[in-house]
Amino acid sequence: MKSLLLELESRAAPDLLTVTIDSHTRLKHFATAEATLARNPGHLNGYPLVAHGWGRGRELNESVKVPLEVRHGSPDARELLAVSLASGIASFEGGGISYNLPYAKDVPLQESLEAWRQVDSLCGVFAEHGVIVDREMFGTLTAVLVPPSISLAISVLEAVLAAREGVRCVSIAYPQGGEALQDIAALHSIPLLAERYLPESVETFSVLHQYMGVFPKGRSVADALILYGGLVGRIGGAAKIITKTNHEAYGIPDTRANVEGMRVTEAACSSFLDFVQVDQERVALERDWILCEVAELVEPLLACDDLVAAICRAFANGSLDVPFSASRHARSAVIPARDTRGAIRYRDCGSLPFSEATRKRQAQSLSGTNSDPDGLKVIESITADINYFAAHDVSKGEPLPQLLQEAS
Amino acid sequence: MTTETRSVILGVAASDAHAVANHLIAGRLRYAGFAVENLGVCTPLEEFAEALERSPHSIAIVIGSLNGHAYEDLRSLPQLRAEGRLDRPVILGGNLSVGSRKSNESLELLRGLGVDVILDDPDKLPFVLDSLCRPQLVDAQ
Repeated sequence: MKSLLLELESRAAPDLLTVTIDSHTRLKHFATAEATLARNPGHLNGYPLVAHGWGRGRELNESVKVPLEVRHGSPDARELLAVSLASGIASFEGGGISYNLPYAKDVPLQESLEAWRQVDSLCGVFAEHGVIVDREMFGTLTAVLVPPSISLAISVLEAVLAAREGVRCVSIAYPQGGEALQDIAALHSIPLLAERYLPESVETFSVLHQYMGVFPKGRSVADALILYGGLVGRIGGAAKIITKTNHEAYGIPDTRANVEGMRVTEAACSSFLDFVQVDQERVALERDWILCEVAELVEPLLACDDLVAAICRAFANGSLDVPFSASRHARSAVIPARDTRGAIRYRDCGSLPFSEATRKRQAQSLSGTNSDPDGLKVIESITADINYFAAHDVSKGEPLPQLLQEAS
Repeated sequence: MTTETRSVILGVAASDAHAVANHLIAGRLRYAGFAVENLGVCTPLEEFAEALERSPHSIAIVIGSLNGHAYEDLRSLPQLRAEGRLDRPVILGGNLSVGSRKSNESLELLRGLGVDVILDDPDKLPFVLDSLCRPQLVDAQ
């Protein structure tokens, strides 16, 4: 990990670097992580920070000049946070919803929300002593066709819970969906949502995750998609962009691919691309729609005395939901679809508490698409929506089995 | 009563957390008129067996495996069958072994475990299940 970070730092000069944690550690199987580290370190799919311990963690942190962020996917990250903080790492991703539903099959939300309350509470104690920990909300969720208002609503709820525990620095991460105006509008919504729902004492940053869905295989198309993500992040005013690589379609990328991803993204942020302009009126309209939908999702819950209990009830009755959940604790009754421009809409709002006006607008936005309201073609069209960018590849029109290998 | 309800038990193999295809296949089967008990991702064979014991009228067990570990995840199938459990056709599909080229050998190993049908295309699933509803079993390919 140290040589990877040093090489990325010297060759791509990013403003910060991330450390991704292996899946044994994510599931708190620390002994397994330690045994694998001793016997077969190549079999770990990330950095076993807890097994290494804070001493080595600190060594890693101090070996690079830029700050590190820990990214993982743990429904319960209390030990990992402790070792991260002891290592001097002050940026920590996750939340009781966003690190549960996409990652665990059967962890009750009550449990993950309580574990993350303790994470936030410890960050609050640090803040009182002048050490500000950046808490990043993983709005990417299941990473496939996530409607912007679901991503942002869940991040808002996690951020409100974090602020109540004393967290003072929040990053709201939003996943690039693929349609520029909608993605820019979502990024523009983040400071407005912070103003509306978070106390003034909390500093909020917006983060763009470059496209997390099925990536094109061809290198040039993959690079173009990375450039596109960089442009969207810049025009949307993202404080941070988490970059992808042109190896995405094939598996865990090597160092060179990571360097290239960062460099292409940096190029997207160059002033010679300043000529790229978007229709600000359309962006403002999209932004207002997103803000309205987020309000309809979160405000009934924020009005409850016990927000954690309200969130748990909402997922149980479907008034909060995520598409394609890995967890049993979300219904996944919501079905997304792309409109003719590629923006992500709701084909089926499930039991989300949307107003008549929102439902009507969603239905209208999908008119003109090939949506077949009652038949088998729903699956085909979702598949095509998932393969939106992969289909731009040399081999046009990925067959379904190909999708099954790639979508996760 | 059981003749009209065509129920299937669906899930993803024990070591595999790929949720998207699982949701799509559940949706496809429901649109095709099947009652689907979807056990979701990371489901050990033991859980499939328990589900079948709860819903004994189910006509088949449909297992997806995308991470290449199908053989390891299905290893206990012969033993469960020897105990008289999972006594229904097991249909398996996905990305069944590690590596981009699939050998007949790895498919033979899976058949050796007792996998009844190996599918290369989830579109064929409703037809295969329809064929199971008829008196005699029809080979998928």
